[in-house]
Amino acid sequence: MTDPNIALRLRNIHKHFGPVQSLRGVDLDVRVGEIHALVGENGAGKSTLAAIAYGELAADEGTVEAIGAVGLVHQHFELIGRLRVWENIILGREPRKGLRLDTQTARRSVAERASEYGLDLDVDAYVDTLPVGVQQRVELLRELERRPSVLLLDEPTAALAPDEIASFFRIVVALSTHGTAVLVVTHKLQEVLDYASRVTVLRHGSMIATKETAETSIGEIATMMIGGEIPALASRKAHDVLPCLHVTDLTAQVDDSTVSHLAMDVGSGEIVGIAGVEGNGQTAIADAILGLCDFDGSVTFAVKDPRIAAIPQDRLREAVVPGWSVCENMLLSRQHAAANAPRGWLNRTTMRQAAETVVRDFDVRPTNIDLPLRSLSGGNQQKIVVGRSLLDSPHFLLAYNPTRGIDVGAAALVQSRLIQARNDGIAILLISFDLDEILAVADRVLVLFRGEIRGTFTRATLDRARIGRLMAGGT
Amino acid sequence: MKHRLQLEPIIAIGIVLIIGSLTMLLAGVSPIDGFSALLFGAFGGRSEIGETLVQTTALLFPALGICLAFRSGLFNIGAEGQLIMGGLFAGALGANFNAPPIIAISAMLVAGMLGGGIWGAIAGWMKARFGASEVIATLMLNFVAGFVALALVNGPWKSPLASGAETAPLLPVAFLPSLLPGTRLSIAPLLAIGLAVVIFIVLQKTVFGFDLRAMGDAPEAARRSGVNIARLSIIALGLSGACAGLGGATIVGGMLHRFNTALSPGYGFTAIAVALVGELNPFWICVAALGFGALESGGLAMQASAQVPKDAIHVIEGAIILVLAARRYIVTKRTAAV
Repeated sequence: MTDPNIALRLRNIHKHFGPVQSLRGVDLDVRVGEIHALVGENGAGKSTLAAIAYGELAADEGTVEAIGAVGLVHQHFELIGRLRVWENIILGREPRKGLRLDTQTARRSVAERASEYGLDLDVDAYVDTLPVGVQQRVELLRELERRPSVLLLDEPTAALAPDEIASFFRIVVALSTHGTAVLVVTHKLQEVLDYASRVTVLRHGSMIATKETAETSIGEIATMMIGGEIPALASRKAHDVLPCLHVTDLTAQVDDSTVSHLAMDVGSGEIVGIAGVEGNGQTAIADAILGLCDFDGSVTFAVKDPRIAAIPQDRLREAVVPGWSVCENMLLSRQHAAANAPRGWLNRTTMRQAAETVVRDFDVRPTNIDLPLRSLSGGNQQKIVVGRSLLDSPHFLLAYNPTRGIDVGAAALVQSRLIQARNDGIAILLISFDLDEILAVADRVLVLFRGEIRGTFTRATLDRARIGRLMAGGT
Repeated sequence: MKHRLQLEPIIAIGIVLIIGSLTMLLAGVSPIDGFSALLFGAFGGRSEIGETLVQTTALLFPALGICLAFRSGLFNIGAEGQLIMGGLFAGALGANFNAPPIIAISAMLVAGMLGGGIWGAIAGWMKARFGASEVIATLMLNFVAGFVALALVNGPWKSPLASGAETAPLLPVAFLPSLLPGTRLSIAPLLAIGLAVVIFIVLQKTVFGFDLRAMGDAPEAARRSGVNIARLSIIALGLSGACAGLGGATIVGGMLHRFNTALSPGYGFTAIAVALVGELNPFWICVAALGFGALESGGLAMQASAQVPKDAIHVIEGAIILVLAARRYIVTKRTAAV
């Protein structure tokens, strides 16, 4: 490489999957010792670019040059929970003594490496007993074992609480000051400004710009990401809140998700947000309220025969039949209401009308309701799920990560529609792993940690820092 | 499911013909003689056509039942047992229930549906109650059905007049009317086509069918949309079994006029191939059943006139299934690559 200050150089990278052009002529330089952020909406090509830089994928065209080894920490951890920390780290490059594993050397070298990088780790702990933030460090240490001069981090903070995010970046900053070039793929723009020195924006596979973070703002980055202004959220109408959902002493378990003796109320015309890191009991709460699992305690509604709607969190598995048409999916979850299917017969006319309404009101594209749902983008699929949930004017709506994995424009539309539904008097329980979403949308915020409510806030008393601490189990 | 006219079907037929020809050459027969014997045996005259339709119908009932179960995500491979139980119930009732023909016939058909339906529902209940795999449960119940039938026709239900293992003959009021005089063909194919229409309407036009398809295509989404998966699994396997059972009843009422254990040479198993070749679509299943029915009846004629062993037919059937499976694999790969 000509310039010794450049650790990773990508030039004119093109990549397509079938007819879909994923990257078109992307150039990217990551300097020695810098933290470089790579941002863009879902589907902009960030992860593809990272995979090409790592060598996991081959580019159709263009060149990749790196000085030294390249390491990649995946968004989803690839650790073996039932092995100890040191066993996970040496996996695949075990030191041997004859035919046997040289346990002593392996364990000692991992411990030395951890302290060398200032990672606070108990190398003898079993991975599945560790909190997510610590697992992240294990994953990081595994890549550091290869002594990479370029480190790629793919959405490293997606599953971390705010406190854990800060301590994670302390480690990353320390690495970069020792000369490692770091490329962080993320969509959290505040982290970009807080920790990165430069940021590259991708949109629809094209490189829009590379900027010094000191000379840009969240607004400017977001505008470059979506190619326009972020639409403002709907405004919040002041009105009386009447009781709707009453939960007392709820104890439930769904797989690993548990809640114990939980109490809460959601009123008609308010959005109650449950803030919490993934895996603290959200799924148990959601399934208990929807009557999808056994539970102790009581879940009652103020109205008789309440109409309950839900936006499930795992869209493709829980919310839709991907191979069915948009039109048929629009009836799913509504098919047992007598008005939608009189005497058990499907009524194609009303089905189509409902589908056309949602497609128009939510600006779903393409507008052809006979296309299979899976041919739509994630954002458009989600608009259908959200629009469908509001079709029969429900009394209560449970929205579980309603904007996860969709682009900024679609997310803003969904959030606005939730606020409008609240203005119309619907009781909404919003469970989200995205604290910013909760803060933007909810009237009241409950902080969930290990299946218990650790704090309650109203819009008047919102305190982001304190919510962050409570989410991590602090006070 | 889309059906576009493409080169693929022609290539597929070509491959099947080549494999069939090779089999015939190995048997020492000219493929031209073999295939013409096959074709003539299947469609060459009134009695040949009648026999082809008999075989077609016997395959069509269980195949439609299998279609209903598979579309619901339930791999019912117990159509054979369900068909036997249907025939057994129909034979028992038809031998003893004296009434005007229309009532006697209806009662016998209902008995057949009940027999097959109970047999299917048992597997559904095992799945719903204990989480048993319906594949294993339905498969194993085939053997149970076979031995239950064997025990009954050799023991308590054995006809005192018969030398072999069979029940008493049906009362003539329960005989299904003939469709093509001079052949074994009863009105059963009309019932089967009616059943295909009913299944199509249920699947496409009713909420019940919507729930079944949702359960088959996305069980978790179906559960969250208010479908009671356990209950619907029992019902779906019950109805699936009832279709096969109805088939058993038409064989008893239309041809054998009594129940005996030679009721089915394995219709319930071949029907799985028929249902899959018909892409789980009632209309295409009718077409596929006609194809397999022609092979079954033509194969017998071919064996007699051209000295090609009937087993060559099974080679051709196998080739058809392989070719279609390969086509599906290719199509899936092609769409997955996009």
